[in-house]
Amino acid sequence: MIEQYIPVFIVIIVAVIFAVATVVMSKLMGPQRPNSEKESTYESGLKPIGTTNERVSIKYYLVAMLFIVFDLEVIFVYPWAVQFKKLYSQIGISIFFSMLVFLVVLELGFLYVYKKGGFKWD
Amino acid sequence: MELKYLFNSLPYIKPELILAASLVIIVVADLIITKKKELLHYIALAGIIAAGYFVLEQFSMNAFAFSSSGNKGMLTVDSMGAFFKGLVLTASFFVFLFSFSSNEINESRSKLGEYYALLFGMILGMFFMISASDLILVYVSMELVSLSSYVLAGITKQSLRNSEASLKYLIYGAVSSGIMLFGISLIFGITGSTNLYEINYILRSPETNRVILLLAGLLVFTGIGYKISAAPFHFWTPDVYEGAPITITAFLSVASKSAGFVLLIRFIKVAFIQNSLNGYWQLLPAVDWKTILLVLSILTMTLGNFAALWQDNLKRMLAYSSIAHAGYMLAAMAVLSNQGLIAILIYFAIYLFMNLGAFFVVMLISNKIGSEEIDNFDGLGYASPFLGVSFAIFLVSLTGLPPTAGFIGKLYIFIALVDAKMFLLSVIMVLNSVVSLYYYMRVLKHLFLRKAEGAPIELKVSFPNAVVLLMLVIPVLVLGLYFTPLVEFAKNSISVLGF
Repeated sequence: MIEQYIPVFIVIIVAVIFAVATVVMSKLMGPQRPNSEKESTYESGLKPIGTTNERVSIKYYLVAMLFIVFDLEVIFVYPWAVQFKKLYSQIGISIFFSMLVFLVVLELGFLYVYKKGGFKWD
Repeated sequence: MELKYLFNSLPYIKPELILAASLVIIVVADLIITKKKELLHYIALAGIIAAGYFVLEQFSMNAFAFSSSGNKGMLTVDSMGAFFKGLVLTASFFVFLFSFSSNEINESRSKLGEYYALLFGMILGMFFMISASDLILVYVSMELVSLSSYVLAGITKQSLRNSEASLKYLIYGAVSSGIMLFGISLIFGITGSTNLYEINYILRSPETNRVILLLAGLLVFTGIGYKISAAPFHFWTPDVYEGAPITITAFLSVASKSAGFVLLIRFIKVAFIQNSLNGYWQLLPAVDWKTILLVLSILTMTLGNFAALWQDNLKRMLAYSSIAHAGYMLAAMAVLSNQGLIAILIYFAIYLFMNLGAFFVVMLISNKIGSEEIDNFDGLGYASPFLGVSFAIFLVSLTGLPPTAGFIGKLYIFIALVDAKMFLLSVIMVLNSVVSLYYYMRVLKHLFLRKAEGAPIELKVSFPNAVVLLMLVIPVLVLGLYFTPLVEFAKNSISVLGF
């Protein structure tokens, strides 16, 4: 049983050895002549601005979340619209109403966000 | 999956559809009603009752819903599922009644709409968890329950410990659901199917890889163990139970746990069963579930009871006590027989009343005194004898002493253990009950034997609250003496589809 997984273990061991070896070897063998330019944080070649622990306003997350909701809506509606004729001939009018229910529920969510002030930037 | 199968399956999920509709109605009602938010309480109760009506129908059903091309479906509708759905609905009914007078909920009244919408989301998730027979649906419904409960644990946002509870719950939940998903992926890798019934069929062939299957089984159990707060996965329980609003704590301790148990029963009984002999389940030799459940049950009940001894906060104490009760039920599960299953059903039905009752009394008292520390409860038994005596009844029942219902629950688990010749476990269970006697009675000592410091506190129980309390006390007393109907009911509701 366990013998089957020997290749996996070998890969894991090699990965660990490779990772450790590259870091240790470059430390040991590479020339080390640090100066202030080299020591500074790399930020696309520009002078670093601020710290890494930048606090992002929660509004951005709200917008991102709302974007996902409506993005998903399109994901469901688009294939439905493309396949509508075929589905209609197979199943009938209920295929229209099932999407209608979905859209109504989704728009209720939209209404909820609007009413609760989710779109207010300030 | 053909679309027409989808439409044909809709009658099987009527309760779920009602719950989903109630969720939408509550969100809309929350937008329309700006002044009298109290109306939302009644809308929520109506939703629960409507769903309950359709759950009653399901007791006589035995079917797969949402079948794929084969004949095995995503959902199973059977009487065991209906029993637990009824249990979840009863628990939510009581929790909604508690919410009327909970200070914590009333202080954040503007969020009442979200509170109920999320609760309905949670109940909906539990319903799917209870009837899921496909690992994908298991995972999705568990996430639905978890995500709602993370937010609910921190819904009031007033106190720091509230947010702490929510965050801790989220972190533990994310890790355990990730581990569970890994287990599911391993099972899918071995069997090529996510349907529990098909997995069972494939595992019957002798050439399954047992090492991986054991690992996968344990990983999936991690996710379930987190939901039922079994021992090595219980760390979130005390902190979350202490920090969350008490109505949510009560709901988590009963409903969430019962949904987790159904999942465990289904996972073991459907995916790993070989055949059933005289009501004893012969499991596939692949994973030794009996030993795993046995060890975890001993660990869970012992840890829960011993940790509860040192708790001074009543919510925290009840959290550890709920861990211990999960241990007792795991012991009944370890029997792996229909008798054990009946014992679990009986125990859950009784546990619902006594545990909700204990939380309700703590809520009513802490509404008044603003604290759940045991030292602040000194002498309060005399401030309101009705509250004090009901609390005493619930605690005696939680210990498992006659003539209360808790005794009957423990008795049936004990009988199941002795019948299966698992004497060691039954002795450990009895010893644990003795330990639990200490910390339950300690509360009564504070209530009745200690003198209150300072000015005497007036505790008035309003009429509606008294009715709710009686609705919880009476079953605990009646089921302790006249339990035949419950036992018969449980015996008739153990059919798991297919076996």
